[in-house]
Amino acid sequence: MKETEPSQLSHDLEIVSMTLASQIQSQDRGDFIRDSIPTALQLLIVMPLFAILVQLFRWATGVSAGWFFSWTSWSLLTVAVPLTWLFARVLTRQVEVSRHRALLAADKQIGSSERIATADHFMRRPSRDGFMQAAVEDAADWVGRAREASLDEESVRRSRSFLSLWPIPLAVIGLLIAAFLTQFARVPLAGDPSLPELSSVTDAISMTPEPLQPKQQPNVEELPDPDPEKEPPPEQRNQRAVNRQGSSGADIPDEAEESSGKLSEGETRESQQSANPSSARGAPSTSGQPSKSGEETKRERKPKKKQKPDKEREKKPRPQEEKPSGATAGQGSSKGSDNNAAPSDWASTSQAATPDDEDIEDEEDVADEEEEQESRGGVQPNLRDRRTPVNRDLQIGFGNAQPNPDANGRGGPGGQKKSRGVASLVLGVPIPDRVNGQPNKGRIRITQQRITPEAEQSNPVAAQDRLPRQGSVGPIHHPDFSPWLQDFVRRYFLERRAQNPLQASPPKNTTRTTPQDPLQTSAVAESDTPQS
Amino acid sequence: MSSSLSIDNPEAARQAADEFRAVHASIREEVSRMMVGQDATIDGVLAALFAAGHVLLEGVPGLGKTLLVSSLGKAIHLTFSRIQFTPDMMPADIRGTNVLQENEMGGTKLEFQPGPLVANLVLADEINRATPRTQAALLESMQEKQISVGNRTIALEEPFCVMATQNPVEQEGTYPLPEAQLDRFLFKLVVGYPAEEDYRTILRRTTSNNEVALNPVSNAETIIRMRQVVRSVPVPDHVETEAIQLVMATQPGSEYARPLVNEVVSLGASPRGVQSLILAGKVRALLDGRFAVAGEDLKAVAPDVLRHRILVNFHGMSDGVTPDDVIQEVLK
Repeated sequence: MKETEPSQLSHDLEIVSMTLASQIQSQDRGDFIRDSIPTALQLLIVMPLFAILVQLFRWATGVSAGWFFSWTSWSLLTVAVPLTWLFARVLTRQVEVSRHRALLAADKQIGSSERIATADHFMRRPSRDGFMQAAVEDAADWVGRAREASLDEESVRRSRSFLSLWPIPLAVIGLLIAAFLTQFARVPLAGDPSLPELSSVTDAISMTPEPLQPKQQPNVEELPDPDPEKEPPPEQRNQRAVNRQGSSGADIPDEAEESSGKLSEGETRESQQSANPSSARGAPSTSGQPSKSGEETKRERKPKKKQKPDKEREKKPRPQEEKPSGATAGQGSSKGSDNNAAPSDWASTSQAATPDDEDIEDEEDVADEEEEQESRGGVQPNLRDRRTPVNRDLQIGFGNAQPNPDANGRGGPGGQKKSRGVASLVLGVPIPDRVNGQPNKGRIRITQQRITPEAEQSNPVAAQDRLPRQGSVGPIHHPDFSPWLQDFVRRYFLERRAQNPLQASPPKNTTRTTPQDPLQTSAVAESDTPQS
Repeated sequence: MSSSLSIDNPEAARQAADEFRAVHASIREEVSRMMVGQDATIDGVLAALFAAGHVLLEGVPGLGKTLLVSSLGKAIHLTFSRIQFTPDMMPADIRGTNVLQENEMGGTKLEFQPGPLVANLVLADEINRATPRTQAALLESMQEKQISVGNRTIALEEPFCVMATQNPVEQEGTYPLPEAQLDRFLFKLVVGYPAEEDYRTILRRTTSNNEVALNPVSNAETIIRMRQVVRSVPVPDHVETEAIQLVMATQPGSEYARPLVNEVVSLGASPRGVQSLILAGKVRALLDGRFAVAGEDLKAVAPDVLRHRILVNFHGMSDGVTPDDVIQEVLK
C-alpha cells in the first residue's frame, strides 16, 4: 500500500462516519417520533376535556359563548396541542452520534466484522505494530464499500403497531361533538331548578346561597356520574377520606352524604377505623362473608356465641374443685388439669370461660387477631392459646410434679439424659435408653482346686560319663569365598608364616592344605594364631 | 522457549497469519482422518492448544473424547501421556516422586522420577473420578506450568496442555471438579452425538481392516511459534470493553447483570474468564482472516469459555436454568 493511502483512508473514514451519523440521526429522530405518538394521541384528549369543562362552567355561570367557544377553535386547538408538544420535543432532543457508533453501524451494514471501526481505532494510535497496520490496510476495501452503502432502514426500524390506541381519537371526536352540542343548550340561570336533566347539579347548587363557593365544587364533579355503584376514582376516594378525618364531615349536608353512597365503601380498613373508631372496635372480620355487611354479621354472630356456652353449661356442670396440675400449679393464671398432661382440647370443660369472658375475649380478640394477622401478611401463631405446652422435659423418672433432685446443674448430664438428649426431640423416632451392663450374679460359679505342692526327686546327670558323638555331624555349611578373598587370606598367612617360621609349624593333627581349599587354610591359620 | 516473535510490518503479519491458518488446517485435517463428526470439538481443542489453554471435554461415553486427544498427540508429534483417573490415585502417581537410587560409588541418593504429568499433551481421562487431592495436583501444573515435588520445582516443557474428559451421566462415585480447577480450563466443550452420515463413516473406518495411521504434521516448536502469533493479534478498546462487560454481566449484583443473572447465578466468571475470552477471540479472528479481534469473536467463543465459570444456584437448577441459558441471556 502506498504512503498516501492512510490519509485517503482517513478521509474515507471521515466521510463514512459523517454520512452514517446523519443517517442514524434521521432514523433515530423517526424512531423518537414514533415512540412519542402514543403520548401525543393521549394529549389529543386534553382540549376536548377542557371544552367540556368550559361548557359546564358556562352552564353554571351563564357566561355567553362568544368566539372562544366556537367549534372550529376547539378543533384547531385539539390538534395543535399534541403537534406543538411533539414538535417541541423533537427540537429539544439533541442526538449526538459518535464516530465509533457510526462506523460500527457501517460495519454491521456491510458485514465487515467491525473491520472499519477497528481500523479507525488503530489509525488514531500513535504507533502501530504489524498486525495493526495489516488491520488498517485490510479495512481499506471495506471502507470503499461502506461509502457506497446506506443504512438499511427496514432492519433498523422497529415495527410498532398503533392499533391499540384507536379508542383515543374516537373519544376525542366524541368529546368534541359533545362540546359542540352543548353550545346550543340554554344557559341556566342561578337558582333555576326547572331543568330536569341537571336537577342533581342544581340540587347541590341551590342548597347553598353562593353557587361559586369552592366547597360545592367536588359535588358538581361527582354529579355527572349517574351510577351510584360505580366506584369513584382513587383521587376522589382519598379526598373523601381526608375530609372525613378532618372536621369537614360535619359541614357536608346529610343529603350530600347519603347521595354519595356508603361511608365505608371503597376505603381501607385502616381508613375506616380512623374515620369511625367507635364502630371499628368489636367489629368482627368480614373476610369470607362478602354478602353481608359488618353490622349484620355482628348481630348474627353474637347470639350464636351466647347460646352455645349455655347449653354446655347445662349438660356438663362445672366441677367444684379442680386440682392444679403439677406443672402449672401456682404459676400464672392458666388452669391445668391433673388428669391429663397431654395437650387438651381448646373447648374442654375444664377451661370453659364465663360468658363475660367470651364476650370480651372471643369477640374482640378474634377480631383483633385477624386484623393483626392481616396486617402481618399471614396467619400468625395464636399466642392466646391456653393449651398445656408440650412436655419437653428430658428428665426421666420423676415426672413433672417432682423435680429431679440431682438435676441441680452440678455434675453434668447423666447417662440416661445423654442417651436421649437432642435426638429425643426428633418426633416419631424412638430412642432407647442406654442399658448399663452388669454381671449376672447367679449363673457364674468360681471353683478352686486345692493342691498341696510336693517336691520331686530326680537324678543328676553325670556329664563325665558321656561318650563322644558316634553318628555323623550332618551337613556343614562351607561358604564360598570370592577368589580375591581367598588369595588375600592366603597371602596374609603366608606372610605371617614367612616372618615366624618356627611358630608357623603345622600342628600335629592338621592335614595338608591346598590353595583350592580356602576354608581349611583359614582354619589352620586361625588355629595357629592363638599359639603364636 | 524461543525468543518472542516480533511482527513490526504488515507483510510479516500477513505471513504469520497465513502460516497460522496453514498449520491449523493441516492439523485439523490430520485429526479429522481419525475423528469423524466432531468438527466443532476439534476446532475447540485446536483453539485451546493455540491459545495456550486447557480443555475440559464433557460427553457421554463412546463419543471419541479420548480418541480425539490421542489423535492430536500423534498429529503434532508431541510427547503424549494419558492418565486414567481413579479414586485410589495419589498425587505422586501423576506428578512423579523422588526414588532412592544407588549410584556407581555404592552410595544412594534421591532422584526424581517424573510422572505422566511431565509431557506436552496430557490426557486426564475421567478426571472427576479422582479424589480432590489428586485433582488439586493438577492446579499448579495447569496454571504455572510447573510441578513441585518435595523441595524441588520442575518446570514443564512447553507446549503444555491438559485435556481432561469427564462423563456427565455417571456421577456415582465421582468428585466434581472444584471451581478453582474449573476456572483453569480455557474451554469446556460439550461433545455431542455425530450426524447420521458421520455414523456411516465411523462404521466404515472402525469395523474394517483399514486402519487409519496418523502422521505428525507439526511439532512443538511450530505450536510455540503459533502461540506467539496468536498473542500478537491486537484488541481494539471497544472489544476489550465489550469483553469486560460481558464477564461482569455474569456476576450477580454487578452493574451489567441482568435480572436473570441476579436471580439464578451464585457465582459468575472471574478475570481469568476475560483473559480466556480475548485469547480465544484472537484465535478465531486469525482463522477468520482478520488481524484484530471483533465483538462477534467474543460472542462466538463465549459459551465455551464461560460455560464452566458460571455457577447456577439451587433456585436456577430447580427451574431448569443452565449456564448456557444464562450466557444466551447475557449475549442478548
